[in-house]
Amino acid sequence: MSAGSILERRWLQLGLGLIVGGAFVYAGWVGFSDARQLADSVASLRILPTRLVDPFALSLPMFEILAGVLTVAGPLRRSAALGLGVMTVIFCAAIASALARGLVIDCGCFGANIPSRARMWLDLGRDVLLLMGVLIVYRPSGNHWPGVPRDPRQ
Amino acid sequence: MSFKPRAQDIIGAVALMFASILTGLVLNHFSSSPLALAYRSPEQRLQTELAELVAGPPLQSFPVATIGLDEFRRMAEAKTAVIFDARASVYYRQGHVPGALNLSREDFGQDYLRLRAALEKDKNSPIVVYCSGGTCHDSKMVAQALTSLGFTRVRIFPGGWEAWSAAGLPAQRG
Repeated sequence: MSAGSILERRWLQLGLGLIVGGAFVYAGWVGFSDARQLADSVASLRILPTRLVDPFALSLPMFEILAGVLTVAGPLRRSAALGLGVMTVIFCAAIASALARGLVIDCGCFGANIPSRARMWLDLGRDVLLLMGVLIVYRPSGNHWPGVPRDPRQ
Repeated sequence: MSFKPRAQDIIGAVALMFASILTGLVLNHFSSSPLALAYRSPEQRLQTELAELVAGPPLQSFPVATIGLDEFRRMAEAKTAVIFDARASVYYRQGHVPGALNLSREDFGQDYLRLRAALEKDKNSPIVVYCSGGTCHDSKMVAQALTSLGFTRVRIFPGGWEAWSAAGLPAQRG
């Protein structure tokens, strides 16, 4: 069985949806449980204007939970995956920007941690992996992957 | 290309975003400890807590004396100083320097009131404050707050819990 045909199978999307969606639901729950800590982490990135920090810290966990659940299955699966994809790109850019500015921060993405540069690189790598998962979930299951022959059974 | 967003996906994602903002704000409104919506930094929150504790001394930023791991360890083992853990209670309960008391930056007012009677017997006792370590500022803020409250011999251990646990030194839970 070719890699393309494996990737084409809907169960893979469902499985990835569960993993990626579960990760975002968990991150959302952690953020919802301690919105003040999340607000401090958002503020430490020094990107948003101060007046937007608290509203963002209150809305982000809700978005992660709602979109995380909807990513698994259902008619809004692609909308949720698109939203999570855009959000993850913004997170990656924010962490990369903080690294480039020499900041040592805790992104607070999955709860509070001791801020460190090494941790920031790990956070960036994890977000890139999540982004890849989200893209696979977003992709319509009927299309084939670029460069991979279409499965003749489809 | 299959990754090209469709209009309905974009509309759905935007709708989700607005639903999340609305839900977040409504839940915050009914929360027992809501955010103020106007962000206040940890320093500003500590300043408020300090002002509620005593009528007066503004929290000032000034250098605080530090001690290294060896001296901190000797003081902790010999119990020659009052040691404060400035981290949030959830981290304190997971593990702290044996004998350390939790005086968190986040709940400073509440923690201080709990410890006040014992603390204010002698404001000249040696005090050492630590937090997570690395770049955490909680120990410095708590040390400055204690100094503002009249404590005269306050120092911080910058290595914090990170350095203590990395050295394989004993931990106390709960």
